[in-house]
Amino acid sequence: MNEILLLPILIPLTGALLLLLMPNHLRGWFATGTMAVSLASSGWLLSTVDATGSALVLHSGGWFFDGSPFGITLVGDWLSALFVLMSQLVLFLGFVYANGAKDKVVQYPTFYTLFMMLVVGLSGALLTGDLFNLFVFAELLVIAGTILTAVSDDKFGTEAAFKYFYISLIAAAFLLLACGALYVSYGTLNMAQLGQAIGLEATPLALMAMGLLLATFMVKSATVPFHFWQPDFHAAAPTAVSATLSSVVVKLGVYGYLRLITLLFVDQAPFIQNVLLLVGIVGIVFGGLSAVGTHNLKRMLAYSTLAQVGFILVGIGWGTPLSIAAALVFAFNHALIKAAMLMMAGAIASRAPVKSADFLNITAVGKLHPALGVFFFVGAMALAGLPPTNGFISKMLVFNSGIEAAGYWPLVLIGLASILTLVYTMRAFMRVWYMTRDKDETAVTFKQGDRLIAPMALVGFSFLLGIWANPLIEITTETALWLESPQAYINAVLDTELLARR
Amino acid sequence: MELLIAITIGTLFAISIYQILQRNVIRSAIGIILLGSAINLFLLSAGSVDGLVPAYTTLTGAQADALPQALVLTAVVISMGGLALILGMLYIIANRYQTSDLDEISNLRN
Repeated sequence: MNEILLLPILIPLTGALLLLLMPNHLRGWFATGTMAVSLASSGWLLSTVDATGSALVLHSGGWFFDGSPFGITLVGDWLSALFVLMSQLVLFLGFVYANGAKDKVVQYPTFYTLFMMLVVGLSGALLTGDLFNLFVFAELLVIAGTILTAVSDDKFGTEAAFKYFYISLIAAAFLLLACGALYVSYGTLNMAQLGQAIGLEATPLALMAMGLLLATFMVKSATVPFHFWQPDFHAAAPTAVSATLSSVVVKLGVYGYLRLITLLFVDQAPFIQNVLLLVGIVGIVFGGLSAVGTHNLKRMLAYSTLAQVGFILVGIGWGTPLSIAAALVFAFNHALIKAAMLMMAGAIASRAPVKSADFLNITAVGKLHPALGVFFFVGAMALAGLPPTNGFISKMLVFNSGIEAAGYWPLVLIGLASILTLVYTMRAFMRVWYMTRDKDETAVTFKQGDRLIAPMALVGFSFLLGIWANPLIEITTETALWLESPQAYINAVLDTELLARR
Repeated sequence: MELLIAITIGTLFAISIYQILQRNVIRSAIGIILLGSAINLFLLSAGSVDGLVPAYTTLTGAQADALPQALVLTAVVISMGGLALILGMLYIIANRYQTSDLDEISNLRN
């Protein structure tokens, strides 16, 4: 049964290669179909993990030396399976959006192949149990994302992609250096073995590796000191891609933090958590203020990601099981909401006289599309954390866990800063659906734009998770309990009976 | 030998960081190449501490660890791909902006 772990990686990989052979008009549908199968497989993965109650482990190749795995290890525990399901759900809807998009970029022969490689990179990075493989998959993710943005319809795409690729290459170099440092110290790169060895004795090189890994994940999740590439990059990417980049790809960094504090550097976790708490709060305030100050809808939402990821980091920073569960719920809900909002921003831009999400350009565009307004309003409410949407559930859980963890100062700050969310989302709504255009601007005419089924489905999910949040909360509580004991993960991966049988 | 490698790695790091921080885009691309080389050398030296005889041969003596060599091989391929991509983007940017100065490639700044 452990072979299920391969499916969320292998299905998109096979699909990516087959897509190169497809005729042009079939590509979009084939890609969407492949993603649907892949999504189903990741759902199966989560349900299997749920049924076993432990981690699924696959030592691919089956090579062992002295009782330790030698080949590539794939591990699907609660955390990995939950994140894979989240990312594949959003990515599937990203493909649905791309299939109905009017962008020129989706017509390029290799667009869907590259988009599929993004899926492969993300799923692989989440499922691997080996630090070096994390580097390889993360690099795959970065290269696919960079190319997709560089060929974007937006004329600043190449510049933004260049900026992103630069910082990501340096982050990848840091990750590789961390791999080297850990290998010198412990002679292994398997995360379970590393967790065990670092728990016994942390060498100075391992502490250096901790700093490097922390910096790498900060770049990946666009956390405050390393956020500067993010608004440009997420605003310039093609809508379907930016919706997934800003919602699930940044969560790779969040996943990395969780692995750092619950598996690799458990003894040093308080230090990492204090850092995350600090940068999280700075990110919430800075992201919120910047989002209020921008003049472009997509850019505003990209800055908003900065703030929303901050909430997740604060949750991780408090570090109690309750607050980690809250952070996971927040991560899942934010993925859905942010993808929906960015898709709607792209859909509005595609209906504007000129294709751009600039506020001047999209003013009053919504008046001809009132139904979209309803969905945008619900999405805005979810982003701001108002009931009855899932945003309310996640904010409530974070605040609740903050009271329990007695983090009152952060609580006051993030409470005040979350009002900013309401300010900027409502400002965008007023712009697009209420204000009138200046006389000297081109008048808005009714225009067929990108298909709306994907953002509507995402808003539907957000609403559904708002009124029926129990399954998600149960799963995340289970995950937080699992993350409590690093030994459970280590035992599952280094199962001596299993190793002896091979 | 170890001291020599350590000094080489350190020097390469220093040069590469200095080059990455330059305003000229081509210089910083060179910095990226050097950074990759420095890290690959670091990984390689991580494996050769045990011995200088190649692994899995009939030669006697302390064998070198083969795993870092495999890691370096993968890392070299990836960094080459990344470098090709960065140079491709540099070509487009140089054509579009007619400059190689990072300060002038700033249309994104509002």
